[in-house]
Amino acid sequence: MPDWKDEVRKRLSGLNLAPAHEAEIVEELAQHVEDVYERSIKTGAPAPEAKRIALLELDDDKLRKEIQRSQKPFREQPVPGSGRSNVLADLLHDLRYAARTQVKNPAFTIVAVIALALGIGANTAIFSVVNTVLLRPLPYKDPDRLVLVWEDNTKQGYPRDTPTAANFIDWRDQNQVFEGMAAFTPDNFNLTGIGDPERLQGRRISASVFQLLGVDPQIGRVFTDAEDQPGAQRVVLLSYGLWQRRFGGDPTIVGKALSLNGRSYTVVGVMPASFQFPSSADQVWVPIAFTPEEAADRTTHYLKVLARLKPGVTLSQAQTDMSTIATRLQQQYPQSNTDVGAVVTPLQEYFVGDIKPALLILLGAVALVLLIACANVANLLLARAAVRQKEIAVRVALGARRWRLIRQFLTESVMLSMMGGVVGLVIAYGGLILLRSFIPENISQARQISIDFKVLGFTLFVSVATGVIFGLAPAIQAVRFNQSETLKEGGRDAATGGSGKRLRSLLVMVEVAISLVLLIGAGLLINSFLRLRNVDPGFRVDHLLTMKIVLPMPKYEEAERRSAFYQELVQRVEVLAGVRSAAVTYSEGSSIVIRIEGRPEPAPGEQQPIVVTTIISPEYFDTMGIPLLKGRQLTEQDTRTGPNVVVISETMARRYWPNEDAVGKRIALGPIKTPRDWFQVVGVVKDIRQYGLTIDPEPRMYFSHKQTDFFPPQDLLVRTDVDPASVASTVRNAVWAIDKDQPVSNIETMEEVLTDSIARQRFSMLLLAIFAAVALVLAAVGIYGVMSYSVAQRTHEIGIRMALGAQTGAVLKLAVGYGMKLVLTGIVVGLVAAFALTRVMSTLLFGITATDPTTFTLISLLLVLVAALASYIPARRATKVDPIIALRCE
Amino acid sequence: MPYKTSSVLDRELKKGSAELLILSLVEDQPRHGYDIGNLIERRSQGNLKFNVASLYPLLYRLERRGWIQGRWVEKAGQRRRRYYRLTAEGKKVLAAQRNSWREFVEAINRITGIEHA
Repeated sequence: MPDWKDEVRKRLSGLNLAPAHEAEIVEELAQHVEDVYERSIKTGAPAPEAKRIALLELDDDKLRKEIQRSQKPFREQPVPGSGRSNVLADLLHDLRYAARTQVKNPAFTIVAVIALALGIGANTAIFSVVNTVLLRPLPYKDPDRLVLVWEDNTKQGYPRDTPTAANFIDWRDQNQVFEGMAAFTPDNFNLTGIGDPERLQGRRISASVFQLLGVDPQIGRVFTDAEDQPGAQRVVLLSYGLWQRRFGGDPTIVGKALSLNGRSYTVVGVMPASFQFPSSADQVWVPIAFTPEEAADRTTHYLKVLARLKPGVTLSQAQTDMSTIATRLQQQYPQSNTDVGAVVTPLQEYFVGDIKPALLILLGAVALVLLIACANVANLLLARAAVRQKEIAVRVALGARRWRLIRQFLTESVMLSMMGGVVGLVIAYGGLILLRSFIPENISQARQISIDFKVLGFTLFVSVATGVIFGLAPAIQAVRFNQSETLKEGGRDAATGGSGKRLRSLLVMVEVAISLVLLIGAGLLINSFLRLRNVDPGFRVDHLLTMKIVLPMPKYEEAERRSAFYQELVQRVEVLAGVRSAAVTYSEGSSIVIRIEGRPEPAPGEQQPIVVTTIISPEYFDTMGIPLLKGRQLTEQDTRTGPNVVVISETMARRYWPNEDAVGKRIALGPIKTPRDWFQVVGVVKDIRQYGLTIDPEPRMYFSHKQTDFFPPQDLLVRTDVDPASVASTVRNAVWAIDKDQPVSNIETMEEVLTDSIARQRFSMLLLAIFAAVALVLAAVGIYGVMSYSVAQRTHEIGIRMALGAQTGAVLKLAVGYGMKLVLTGIVVGLVAAFALTRVMSTLLFGITATDPTTFTLISLLLVLVAALASYIPARRATKVDPIIALRCE
Repeated sequence: MPYKTSSVLDRELKKGSAELLILSLVEDQPRHGYDIGNLIERRSQGNLKFNVASLYPLLYRLERRGWIQGRWVEKAGQRRRRYYRLTAEGKKVLAAQRNSWREFVEAINRITGIEHA
């Protein structure tokens, strides 16, 4: 028998195996060969044949090679099927490749990133507003359970009326759904005795407000129930801002006394900086402490009522309970409560206010802008994909799978959109600074608008989604082509003809349609705003200065003292340089129920004559520039000793004496006890719109403060010959010359007041106009890009046409015609969409309908014009082509 | 059915499936090299055959990867033999390879139309 070990050893020599290891291998292999040999012998093979067969097993060269290979150290390889490191490696590869692609085409990258940044930036900015104003919970404990409760006075035209104190107290004591109820009402305070006198905005509130909100003071304590009683010691809570500004953050402020409205109040605490209730402008809070008269009052509607739902109680359960109580009160107090219901609304709704529809529309608008940006970048990518057909064909030929290629394309587009996202964040940050100065002051939390993690998350999401959206179409397009065709020299690219061109044309149409929707929306708002600006407020707005001068009560308790102050004030101000006339007025406009002589009192629940009341000094109409229509104005002679008189607005005259002359008629403001309770109408003046230009003028009556000042005047009006702002400080000094403790506040020109009153409209209009402009530019760039590309593709054809004698005009028509066909199709689609969509913004419009034909027509024409220009420029270039060069370029 | 394929395909198929075959054979019980080679030949009815030069280097490679483990075993009255058994790691690999092999075969069958072969 051959020495098998020797045979094996011979064959392994020179492999440099470790001796012990070699011996093992030799032993194992020799055994195997021997087994084979023995098997052959057993089956009857002669010995030499059996040996030959056995040695064949060793397959000389292969054995050496394989044994050597098998001794190499094992490199960790992924378990087949788990494949994770593959994906990661691919991703890294894709990222590197994508980065190289971007760097190689800087112009392309910059254009795409700018378009995306505009879209993403606008979305981020508006989302941060929405996030802060609509989504961020109110800064109170369990804010979801906080509600406001209103009186429902729909019959009288007030579906959400401010409750009376007596009703509030009944609600509070009888309900079973709230942990607690608290009332609050605005009140203003003259702070005197330290430095310049100042008028502070504040609130009278129930002591339980802070407990309901779940907010603790920064220092000191909140009010006790005992302090919320009439006759209790006067106490006050300060806002953090006031504490810092006026008291330098004095840590020992608690327990000190302040002079507010001439009375001494003890500071019990300071609220934290983050606290606001209800307005961020509130600086002091005092207990509401209803007097017995107030607590029994069911006619003065002036409170707001906060309540916290008990755990587990829903809004509708609370509503049911409150309605039951309201019904009971109706039966109990028919005189005052007939038809008075109760409404429960979430607190959030009150703070968000009427900005919500505007914000949602803006959010929709920026989403559309982003879609246009996507369409643009998709178009750019499609064009580039066409250029890259060869590269892709080669990669496919080398074995790249389609899905791998699509992934590569998506990596590139998401990388682009992430870059756009980063630049977009910068744009959003800048935009927010602008936005903060435009957003109307009365929107709660407007100042806290910022970019937080939620906004960053939103931006990240939008960026990735954007990248996938605009990247997917070109990616699929790019890998869907005939590989061998493309590889051929001069082969037509897939993306240039057929489906590529169709896709790009479709994108342009979509862009045009979306821009049209946005432009029409903006057009409607601009149109509304212009109409709003042109509304006649009923008085001369220019050269009119206003300021608040509120006389503190104990000091000016007697009407004579007040009259004397106002008289002296007007006299002093009127002689100042640049001043033409001056007047004082109470114009916060409480509505009062009147009685008309000779007419029966309306039955309970029947519509009562309610008229806005203004208290004025005789110079008021001249100073405001309100024209007298009939009768006479109020004069210096209309005093407490003379007959009582009133001047009314034309709307009031029309409403209550429709077919009669109102002058000479008599009205009263309450029960008639003496003949002096009647006021005779002596004049009719033109209407004014004081509550905002969008609201129709209401009936209004004017009394002289010298005759009756149940609402003491609070506003000084100064008509000037010079810039009204320039006399502000001399007017203030005139006030202080009479009373050095008298605060002067809210110094504004009437133009500013009116501008503020339309701030919300201006805000929405401005933003939508900006977005529409961005959309228009992006769409124009998109059309231009597609036209340039298509003309470039057709250079050859145009060259031939020109060579064959085609006129410039004909070629222009050919090229522009193609573009305009796309644009007009887009406009038709856009008009249909706009017709359906602009309805949602009808609440934001003034004086026009959501489908205003003029706006629709003008905007469409504008878009056609811009689109025509965007297709004309590349077409014009095409006609400059030298036919020889065009033919040669193939 | 006569077994007739191109030698290239034959070689590639064998290479691709060798690991799976070996792992499968040592799954239930440890076996020595000669046993493994014999089983492959017998069960494939002679269609697959590994000689020493292809079988043992592969065993060594699988052992180095930690998928199988070899150990000398002496039995009374016999020469000692090296038995290979499947490791825990090898079990996972075997399961994965079985799966992909099944998928591969199914795919091939669907394409070549030998659905019920």
